[in-house]
Amino acid sequence: MKNSSFLQGLRDSLMLLLWGGFVLWLSFAGQLATYLHPSLQNYTTAAGVVFLVLAFFGFRSLFTRPLLHEHQERHGHHECCGNHQGHDHAEQAKGHQHHRAVDGIGSMLFKTILLLLPLAIIVSGKATAYSITTIQNRGVVDNINKLPSAKAGAAVAVSATSLTKSTTSAFQSSPSSDSSSPVASGGPMPLQVIDMLYAVQMPSYRGEFEGKEVELIGQYIPLTTGNPKGDRFQAIRMFITCCAADAKPVGVTVQYPNPLKVSEMGWVKITGKPTFPMEGGHRMAVLEATKVEECPAPSEPFVY
Amino acid sequence: MLLITAWFHFSFSDFQYAFLSILLEGLPFLLGGAILSGLLEEFLPQALMTQLLPKNPRIAIIVSGLLGVIFPVCECGIVPVVRRLLKKGLPVSCGITYMLAAPIVNPLVILSTLAAFRGQGAWEMTILRFGLGLTVAILAGWIVSCFAPFSILRPGLLAPDNDHEHNHSGSGGMLDRLQNAASVATRDFLDVAVYFVIGAAAASLFSTAVNQEIILPLAANPPLAIVSLMGLAAVLSVCSTTDAFIAATLTTFPMAAKLAFLVFGPMLDFKLLFLYGAAFSKRFILSLALGLFVVIGLLCWRLSALNLAW
Repeated sequence: MKNSSFLQGLRDSLMLLLWGGFVLWLSFAGQLATYLHPSLQNYTTAAGVVFLVLAFFGFRSLFTRPLLHEHQERHGHHECCGNHQGHDHAEQAKGHQHHRAVDGIGSMLFKTILLLLPLAIIVSGKATAYSITTIQNRGVVDNINKLPSAKAGAAVAVSATSLTKSTTSAFQSSPSSDSSSPVASGGPMPLQVIDMLYAVQMPSYRGEFEGKEVELIGQYIPLTTGNPKGDRFQAIRMFITCCAADAKPVGVTVQYPNPLKVSEMGWVKITGKPTFPMEGGHRMAVLEATKVEECPAPSEPFVY
Repeated sequence: MLLITAWFHFSFSDFQYAFLSILLEGLPFLLGGAILSGLLEEFLPQALMTQLLPKNPRIAIIVSGLLGVIFPVCECGIVPVVRRLLKKGLPVSCGITYMLAAPIVNPLVILSTLAAFRGQGAWEMTILRFGLGLTVAILAGWIVSCFAPFSILRPGLLAPDNDHEHNHSGSGGMLDRLQNAASVATRDFLDVAVYFVIGAAAASLFSTAVNQEIILPLAANPPLAIVSLMGLAAVLSVCSTTDAFIAATLTTFPMAAKLAFLVFGPMLDFKLLFLYGAAFSKRFILSLALGLFVVIGLLCWRLSALNLAW
């Protein structure tokens, strides 16, 4: 029984060490941004540190265990402490020690596998983006009013002299963003998908870039409806409130007459001119593209 | 790996992605709850809890519902805290009231609801959410107080000292006392984390595989709209501090349905359904789920009919 208790203590400490290690690795490798809103990433990193602190205490407890056993024997305590019901801590003799209830081997094994499962998924490295399946299940949002925090974002957009904060930050963090960025070289204006959606609702904001040459990065999705000529697709970005689990795809229609060889959900850089035509009684955003090329995923894949 | 039907499209990689996201988001809060639990165990005197609560059980339940305003804990972190408080002598009815109300009445949630519904009756929605959440939690506490604790709690939960190994004398050094707290926190975290992993898996499965657009046609019918948004809240399992931002975007749905989403979700979603298993019996959890669904649904429907919640 003492061995089982030791094993469980060891399992717990190792588990915390592993969890702490993996969380901190994700954090320092910059991969938390793949899963979480920036405002939550620091909490998760802090949790990684706390895991390591708890693991330290766990190992320290294992190291001092022999003294505790001696103490228990003096007080006549047994391993099956959980079976003596209802004693009042305040009335107990001072300084006594208790044992933890020890899981059976089967239960310990099951819980261990379950707790290792998320770590195995992290190691596999495959769970880093959504496929088209979830995009279809969630539906692409093309109306800014259907996005969380849309009103707050709209306020930012209205007060901004040119581009939204998210546009600038996305391009700053994108691999293509360096001294030769479009803004620095006087090339096309960098634009975000949500900028175009805001612009649909706000004529004053629309004037900032309507008809000008812009560059937009998004994920390619073929447009299966409302595309009689077959010359349109959607460029989407994932908008998150909290974490990737609540991500909503937001997208604009891109019109590009040339044939494209891009895989679904592949990242593309689109150069073209934004237009805001009335179609089906609604104003919508259409980017008339002159150039579409594949590009690497930006380091910050979400928009907020 | 793709299973396709009209409303259920499953992708294993998407499931894994959402699963990890929920885990990484919830971990700090779950861990925070476990740390708080460890500190309570080591530093909160056993008798203090019962001394502080009013002697009248009904008033004690009401006070427990409001505890979340002072001790804000979100729904992920609340379970280890409540487990520890129950072990410390908090009556089960008070524990359940605190557990259900805290994720709704906490100040962060109030502020986020106000911000999210700006321009959509923010004050009305915030007050209704606070009031309805507190009312339902108190009601649940009163009902629970009529039953024996052993029929509600997970077997062995109240058995004292079965999950820690420490010196009660308080005479040890601070490092020893912190080690005791860490030991309890570790056990509580790992105990609850097992249920959290299962709950996160269930929530991920439904949030990625179910076609969420199928509920849109239900928006025009108030009872169906309320039921469907409560179902959506359970499926999405979003943290109560941010769920208002999602509810506010469901523009085609009546406000009563959004209210149901905001009250039901923090009390019972797929993730919580399993997390509660760390403290309560399966029969109780199922009864609680059914009870909350019916009571919140009926109250929101009534508010809708009275035109109080639009």
